[in-house]
Amino acid sequence: MSYEMWTEKYRPRTLDEIVDQEEIVGRLKSFVKAKNVPHCIFAGPPGTGKTTAALCLAHDLYGENYREYIMELNASDERGINVVRETVKTFARTKPIGEVTFKILILDEADNMTDDAQQALRRTMERYTETARFILIANYSGKIIEPIQSRCAPFRFTYLPREAIIKRIEYICERENVKILEDGIEAILEIGEGDLRKTINILQTAASVGKPIDAEVVYSVVGKANPHDVRDMMLTALNGDFISARNKLRELTQKYGLSGTDIIKQIHSEIFRLNIPDRWKVKLADIAGEIDYRLIQGASDEIQLSALLARLVEVGYEIKRGL
Amino acid sequence: MSASLGVAYIPWTQKYKPKSLSEVIGNDEAKRKIVEWIRSWERGIPDKRAIFIYGPPGVGKTVTVEALANDMNMELIESDASNYRTEEAVRRLAGRASQFGSLFGRRKLILFDELDGITGSADTGGLREIGEIIKTTRVPVILIANDAFEPRFASLRNLCLLIEFKKPSKIEVMKHLAKICAKEGINADEAALRFIAERSGGDVRSAINDLQALAQGKTRLTYEDVSWLASRDRKEEIFNVLRMIFYAKDSSSAKAAVNMADVDLDMLFEWIYENAPHHIKNPHELAAAMDALSKADIYRGRIKETQDWSLIRYVIDLMTAGVASSWSKKSTGWTPFKFPERIKIASASKEERDMLAEIGKRIGRKCHLSSSRAIKEVLPYLRIIFQNNPKMGRGIAKWLDLNDEMITYITESEPLKKT
Repeated sequence: MSYEMWTEKYRPRTLDEIVDQEEIVGRLKSFVKAKNVPHCIFAGPPGTGKTTAALCLAHDLYGENYREYIMELNASDERGINVVRETVKTFARTKPIGEVTFKILILDEADNMTDDAQQALRRTMERYTETARFILIANYSGKIIEPIQSRCAPFRFTYLPREAIIKRIEYICERENVKILEDGIEAILEIGEGDLRKTINILQTAASVGKPIDAEVVYSVVGKANPHDVRDMMLTALNGDFISARNKLRELTQKYGLSGTDIIKQIHSEIFRLNIPDRWKVKLADIAGEIDYRLIQGASDEIQLSALLARLVEVGYEIKRGL
Repeated sequence: MSASLGVAYIPWTQKYKPKSLSEVIGNDEAKRKIVEWIRSWERGIPDKRAIFIYGPPGVGKTVTVEALANDMNMELIESDASNYRTEEAVRRLAGRASQFGSLFGRRKLILFDELDGITGSADTGGLREIGEIIKTTRVPVILIANDAFEPRFASLRNLCLLIEFKKPSKIEVMKHLAKICAKEGINADEAALRFIAERSGGDVRSAINDLQALAQGKTRLTYEDVSWLASRDRKEEIFNVLRMIFYAKDSSSAKAAVNMADVDLDMLFEWIYENAPHHIKNPHELAAAMDALSKADIYRGRIKETQDWSLIRYVIDLMTAGVASSWSKKSTGWTPFKFPERIKIASASKEERDMLAEIGKRIGRKCHLSSSRAIKEVLPYLRIIFQNNPKMGRGIAKWLDLNDEMITYITESEPLKKT
């Protein structure tokens, strides 16, 4: 028996296999029928099927050997202008052999591209439209520069409905011969937050325990996967222990490979879940925003985030004094 | 502190503390004078009711007084810098004792140690009260300080017989170290002992501490064993620089400290960043200090970006004067300086980080993710799968094209295990 990550094993191969994004799938199918695809932007939260839709489109368009006609680039790994000037150009300017007259370049996490690279990309898209079509995938289309947006057909992906995710979980469990209890499903749904990739990763990890999956199993594996989360670090700082909070920060960056931007993003989303007076939440959001800006300018993420932790210590102190 | 190291750990400075004056090394002339003075009390209250012993650290001032009390079978009433020494506190400790000392039981000896440590604000009136006690005391009083000639000791000096303690010679220190080695069953090279003695600059206490650190548990001590101490001296140097910055009297002296540091600015920055929160405890002050470092870091970023090194002056301003001026410099006691953790982690795990990036890349390739998102979103789960279900783990590893080294890394690595 072979093993792989279930996110891949159960990733739909064709547009027909995609469920619950009817509107999007319908439009993509019409491209296949016409054997023509415009430049596209697929925007939406993580784990909603953007990459899958792009790959399925390519599959349906080119057939089983679709890999020969596409190039997948991840802008987070290769986000500089040189990649656009060299790799992208080289790929884009040659004509494919066969019925379809263009290749497809899938640019994942395109919102992480630098502005320079986006400007270069805009020209490339124009010049090689005949031989290459671009699918830009992003969480926020707003981070893609306007001239590129205006050249692309927009597709907005939204979270899958709860029922669709439950169906998917049950389908996988059946195929994998894994027993899952109702409270196990509930727990996975809660932690998965509508992100199907995350949901399936949690499911597989819980299944690896080898017991029927109930809520306890789910929480125990998730607890191990994220032992030192951002919230914990924030609470430590708010409680006045700067040194321990800084150690937790180091763990997050050094060991878990979180970038300063990752962490500040999580800090920001945690702020409004903290059990502190509202006006302090707003104050903290303001502080986080300032540090977020400094992260871009500064030389070291840790120094900047430490400055934020020191402010948290200060705010925690003020709150305790009843200010 | 020593308790946590287990029963076996006794500082040798304690273990080999002289019980009798004859065991105290060096300063024979001073010791003779002290004994003479204490004997004179047997004939009635002498002209000078107190002596003031002064001299550099670690030459045996306190040890001498303790050995003296032991030899003379006197009860030692002590106060040192760890006690409050306000007027009130001094009177409570020594007031009664100085009046009724010799009537019952053992004779008493009052010692005010570490007078340099008396502070104006926390120990208000303490020095004056000590003077009052000396004027009327019926039992011997001994004062100890490093420098008896500080202006604030002027009136006390006039009431006391001054006795200077000098550094013992290198030979005397070596002999003492050799004696300890003999008792510990350590065969020590003369060159090794000479090196320790020389380095100590006559500070016997630090020489013994060094000897213990280097030789305890060994049967043989060679010159090679001790020569690395030289590098510790460099550390002492950066400690001094840090002290000058954190406790600077004004912004110019904080800035000046940079010129004395024998490390590059980035390294000094790391030292300051590591240690600031250990010294600055007030939340507002800490936030201000970290804000100064954050701004200094922004200038570092701009230098990196523009390669305009003239901006370095603002980095220096903020990391020194910026930190120094952000707090009130009320020390909460002695806090040791720590080696920058970030440097330790960074150097220990360069390989680890490369490995992590490569793992991320391989996962990303299969799962259509960037390396960083693969590390963040998939690796944590993969780690648990590997632990829970080695068979599934092996299968997935093969599918991801991870080599054995990577598998070992994933299964065994725990957050920051090395530090």
